[in-house]
Parts: sequence; C-alpha cells; structure tokens
Amino acid sequence: MALNFFDQFMSPTYLGIPLIALALSLPWVLFPTPSSRWLNNRLLTLQGWFINRFTQQMLLPLNLGGHKWAVLLTSMMIFLVTLKMLGLLPYTFTPTTQLSLNMGFAVPLWLATVVIGLRNQPTVALGHLLPEGTPVVLIPFLIIVETFSLLIRPLALGVRLTANLTAGHLLIQLIATAAFVLLPMMPTVAILTATVLFLLTLLEVAVAMIQAYVFVLLLTLYLQENT
Amino acid sequence: MLSRLVLVSGPALKNSGSFGACLVQASRSLHSSPQSQAPVPPLPEKGGKVRHGIFPEELFTLLYPKTGVTGPYMLGTGLLLYMLSKEIYVINHETFAAASIGAVIIYGVKKFGPSVASFADKLNEEKVAKAQEVKDIAVTSLAQAIEDEKKEQWRAEGRQMLFDAKRNNVAMLLETNYRERLHMVTSEVKKRLDYQIALQNLHRRMEQEHMVNWVEKNVIQSITPQQEKESIAKCIADLKVLAKATQAKATA
Repeated sequence: MALNFFDQFMSPTYLGIPLIALALSLPWVLFPTPSSRWLNNRLLTLQGWFINRFTQQMLLPLNLGGHKWAVLLTSMMIFLVTLKMLGLLPYTFTPTTQLSLNMGFAVPLWLATVVIGLRNQPTVALGHLLPEGTPVVLIPFLIIVETFSLLIRPLALGVRLTANLTAGHLLIQLIATAAFVLLPMMPTVAILTATVLFLLTLLEVAVAMIQAYVFVLLLTLYLQENT
Repeated sequence: MLSRLVLVSGPALKNSGSFGACLVQASRSLHSSPQSQAPVPPLPEKGGKVRHGIFPEELFTLLYPKTGVTGPYMLGTGLLLYMLSKEIYVINHETFAAASIGAVIIYGVKKFGPSVASFADKLNEEKVAKAQEVKDIAVTSLAQAIEDEKKEQWRAEGRQMLFDAKRNNVAMLLETNYRERLHMVTSEVKKRLDYQIALQNLHRRMEQEHMVNWVEKNVIQSITPQQEKESIAKCIADLKVLAKATQAKATA
C-alpha cells in the first residue's frame, strides 16, 4: 500500500461505518458540564472564565439584535478550536479539513446574516454595496464588484479554513517524512529538520486557534453590518 | 487520565435527555451509590495524583505488592518494545510529528501550567473573598448597630438628670418672676403714698403762708400814720446814737 500524503484527509470509515460522526461529537466529552456547585475545580473555573471573556469580547461590536447569536458563535469558536487542536495529534483526523464541513458551516451562517439584513433594513443592506465617496463614473462597475465580493464571502470563509488546515497538516507530514528519511543518512540535517518541525508545530498551534477565531470574527462583522 | 475521561463522560451522557433517561432506567440495578443528592458530598481539594503527568498513581499502588517499585516501568518498557519489535506500532514520519507535538505540549504545560493553575485558584479565591466580604461587612455593621443601641439606652437613662435640671430651671424662672412683680407692686404703692405726703405738706405750707400774709397785712393796716412818724423819728435818733457810738469806736 503506497503511502499517499492525502490519505490523512480521507473521511475515516471502519467496516463501512463512517466515523466522522464520532470525530465530530467526541471532542464534546473534553469539556465538563458546569456543575451546580458554587466553587468548581480548576478546569471548570477556567472554562467558565474563558467562555465569559470570549463572549464579552465578541459581542462588543454588535448591537442588541446580534446578541441572539452569542451562543452560536461562542460554541462554534470552541468547537473549531478543539477540533483543530485535537487534529494536531498524530494519527488523528481533523474534520475541518473537509471542504464539505466548512462550507456547511459558512454558507448557512453567511446566508443568515444577509437575509437578516435584507429583511430588517433592506436599504442599509443594499447600501453596503456602494462604498462612500466613489466617483460617479465608477458606480456601476463598483456595484458589480461589491456584489461579487458579497457572494464570494461564504466560499472564502469555507475555503480559508480548509486550505489553512490542509496546508498545515500536509507541511507537518512532509517535513516529518523528510526528517525521518534523512535520519539514517545525515543525522545533523535530520536534527535541523526536526527543529523546523518543532517550530512548524508551534505555528500550527497558533494557526489553529487564529483560524477559528478569524472565522467567528468575520461572521461577527457580517452580522454587525446587517443587524 | 483517559480513564478519568470515561468516568467524567459517563454522568454527562447519563444526564443528556431522553437517551440518558433510558440508560438510567436500564442500569438502575447496577447502582451502588445512594440516589439522593443531599447533603452534597464535598469535592476533593486536589485532583488525582499522577506520575509523569499522565499515569495515575493508582496504577503504581496496584502493582507495588507484586512487582515492587520498578514494576510499572518494566511493564511500560516491555509493552513499548513489544509493540516496536512486532511492528504493531510502526515508526514512520508520524512518529516524528508525534514527538514534535509532544515536545510542544510538554513545553507548554511545564511553562504555563503553574501560572494557569494559580490563575484558576485566584478566580475561585476572589469569588470566596467577595462573599466573605459581604458577610464581614454585615457582621461589622450589625456589631456597630449593637454599640449604637447600647449608647442610646445609656442616653435614655441620663434623660432623668436632664429633666431635673429643666425642672430646677423652670422653678428659678418662676421665683424670679414673682420677685419682680412683688418689687413692682411695692414701688407702686410707695409712689402713691409719697404723693399723699407731698400733698399734705403742700397743704400745710400753703396754710402757713396764707396765715403769715394775713397777719402781715393786718399789722401793716394797723400801723397809723402817727405811729409811723414816731417810729421813723425813733429810728433816726437810734441811728444817730449808733453812728456816734461807731465813730467813737473807730477813733478809739
């Protein structure tokens, strides 16, 4: 069986049963339910503190209508971060490398922001299509460009997430293979490559968190425009 | 650590919805702990002890009677070597990736672990401190209220002295007023009596004067001209005698 670098991105099945449902639902187990006690253990305290701070930060630019989205956005952020961080472990599968999953997140949420904007304040929503202060000559052209940029947002959201993660994982695999193959031949180079791998892993950890945050932040921005 | 995951997720799954309810009913025969939640059992202060970060201490305690101190380490080494030699675990590029991510995780935990733990503890302590502060403030304010009440009671006792002083004051005022009025009455009476005395004196003097005037008038009337001439001549003669006498005295 030839080792294909893209095998890690295949949706895992076992005896014909797709395991992606498990991959999507099991990370939930890592977060303890908030107990009814007044003082909790460290994990629960930190989890509660983090969720509070994150929600507060995220809801700063939104007005009251956008606050209805708080649960959705916070839970999405935590879900994406957990999935990515778990995906950095060896022999694991990251569901967010599947374009279908990311588009499944991006398109409905983006569409919801657009529809909310068009329903509640159609003039303002349509007004976003034309930035202020454009010369009169450029108006028709600019409207087409802005419409196109609006329509491409869900694609950008989904593909950004997929591409970043896939690229990161592939890089890790490639450099790890290089170090592994070089180890018997040129140990010094192998050590150098191992250092690169270490730094890359640090980067991947950061990228994982940042990408999730960017996803949620952009949704917040779209929401802010349209509420 | 993973065993703890299972233990933690068990109740979490049990509590979730209808699926949880069926599970609870089906496994009720297996329950060994009491079902009621009150009184709530206290939480352990610290988490379970682990060695090298992931192996629970219970494993070591379990193996100690049979294999001594090095037992679990031998077990671990043996398992690892078995898996490597039988190629159950193949070393490939993923091993390097695993080593790399393992290094990152260990570095992160070693460096940020204590500070994160102390931060979580600080959050809890702040919560307790806030509640404690409320309680302390309530206790101090109530103690202060007790002190104030005692002082008020002492003041109420002292009020009797205040009443006595006021009573004395009022009696003095009354006395002064009475004496003033008495003085006024005596002076008025004296004025009236003085007036009567002055009136009587006036009467007597007027009578005297009147009488003297009448006597003089009558006497002057009674003086005849003859008598007048005689008296004047007599006076002149007396005067001459006197003058001679005086002259004589003067020259002598």
